[in-house]
Amino acid sequence: MIVRTLELTRIYRLGSSRITAVNKVNLEVDKANLVAINGPSGSGKTTLLNLIGLNDHPTFGKVFINKEDTSLLAEKERRKTRLQNIGFIFQTFNLLPTLTALENVELPMALANISQETQRRRAVQLLETVGLANRLQHRPKELSTGEMQRVAIARALANSPSLILADEPTGELDSETGCEIIKLLSDMSRKQKTAVIVATHDEKMVEFADVTYRIHDGSIMQE
Amino acid sequence: MCLRNLLRRRLRTSLCILGITLAVMFIVTIGATTSRYTSIIREMNIFFSGNIVVVAQGSIVVQAFPISGGNLPEDTVDEVKRIEGVRTAVPMLVFFGYELEDAIQLVPTNISIGIPSEKWGILVGSTPLKPDGRWPSANSSAKEVIVGPSLVDQYNLALGSTIRIKNYNLTIVGILDTPSTTLARVIIMPLRLAQCVYFPTNSSWINMMVVEPEEGSVGKEVVENIEANITGVKALTADERNEIIAPLLSDIETWNLGMRGMLFFLSMILVTTVAIMNVSERRRDFATLGALGASRKSIFRMVITETTLIGLFGGLLGILAGTVATLFLASIYTRIPLTLFFQGLFGVVSPIFMVEILASTLIISCVAGIIPAISAMSANISEVLRSEY
Repeated sequence: MIVRTLELTRIYRLGSSRITAVNKVNLEVDKANLVAINGPSGSGKTTLLNLIGLNDHPTFGKVFINKEDTSLLAEKERRKTRLQNIGFIFQTFNLLPTLTALENVELPMALANISQETQRRRAVQLLETVGLANRLQHRPKELSTGEMQRVAIARALANSPSLILADEPTGELDSETGCEIIKLLSDMSRKQKTAVIVATHDEKMVEFADVTYRIHDGSIMQE
Repeated sequence: MCLRNLLRRRLRTSLCILGITLAVMFIVTIGATTSRYTSIIREMNIFFSGNIVVVAQGSIVVQAFPISGGNLPEDTVDEVKRIEGVRTAVPMLVFFGYELEDAIQLVPTNISIGIPSEKWGILVGSTPLKPDGRWPSANSSAKEVIVGPSLVDQYNLALGSTIRIKNYNLTIVGILDTPSTTLARVIIMPLRLAQCVYFPTNSSWINMMVVEPEEGSVGKEVVENIEANITGVKALTADERNEIIAPLLSDIETWNLGMRGMLFFLSMILVTTVAIMNVSERRRDFATLGALGASRKSIFRMVITETTLIGLFGGLLGILAGTVATLFLASIYTRIPLTLFFQGLFGVVSPIFMVEILASTLIISCVAGIIPAISAMSANISEVLRSEY
């Protein structure tokens, strides 16, 4: 088991009102599983991913990553867990604009103090795998949206995480490119034996998922 | 990566660096110029230290030399020698030259000093002459002088060259070999010759004398005795000469430090403002870094490195521009060609001063980055990333 959530709840306070963005979510994700969390905008998908990705703290409940209770971790340890165990793919790619494709992929490895030689070798290999062998030295603004998302996928895999969290990875892409990205994520998940949780409202994505959950008003149910 | 982040906003970074460059340029120019003149003034008091300087009442004395005021009849020297506690008194005639090519200069271009031939030592100490030179003949009709090396360089003079002062052609027989800024600009001649040159109608005037007190006598008491027994004179010990100029030097120093502090403060505000703008525009980048697992320390360090780089470039350019400006100013004030100042660059702007200013600039820019860096590392990852969609 890579991820397990226990009664995971996130309540925001907006003035005097309380908004329950994630409501008592219990979720289990196994190795090499591609899990889709499907729901409309504002249903709590991103909040749930942020909680699982340790970018946010739950109001109640717990997140276990590789059987470790993350609620017991200090901020420094949470960052370390993110660095070593979790890869992120964002809807708007979030590549650093001043770095080349190669450097963007090297970045998580640099943060993990991996040797420069290894960083370079692995980044090249990952970019080749996602079909960008000829775009290594290109900056994000010189890449198409599909290429940017491929770089983001390669970056997410850089530190060989056990879990990848993808938030609307096809949201900014046309349908054809979106399909390619979905296939790529699915393939990578199987090849690298990485668990992938995808928050999406793209029905095509759901077709590729091993397990699909519907989320509505913060509560999820398995389809 | 930090450098690329700065280059991404070229105009903003360039303007910020320009701001720092201008501030540092002013700091260097003002600091080096004032410290050059204050060090010259301080150096002047090395002359005749331990001795008493006697001038005409009303003379303005800058350290060891009268820069304006009246003259004294030469027989005053004999009167002074008779005062209790006085071992010997050496008459001198000192003139600061402010004219060059018919233009009045702000700072002296040369100092002409007449001193009895047998007393050269009281003025130049053990300063040697350059090879083949000799001390001027005591005979005033020989019209021989020795000059400082800076004058020689400026006017392409050599041993045997002739310089014209008033209506006299004077022959250079020796060139001082000295690093002293004051002695570098002197024209030393026998007292009698100086009296002929400057007082052709009455060659028995002097305008200062150096009094050596007897061993064991108290300088202050000797000064009081001189002023009590001889009318129309002012006597000053080395301490008193320092006291006269100390408030001026202190004011210059305070003004200089005040300017430096203000300019550094403004630079700091400029860097902070630019860094805050950079950080607020890159909130998503910092949140992404955080999401990827970058430590708060590494994000903090990144912003500090960027502001320090701005300080480094601004500091280096400012020191370069300030040094050139200082040399230009010194050249304009003294009419000494710029090339001569370039040869003695580190004498005008000392390397220690350059390092001090660069270090201060780096510290200031580093401090300026603290608030933006805290803002960058404290970004709430989930909130920032959510707001981007």
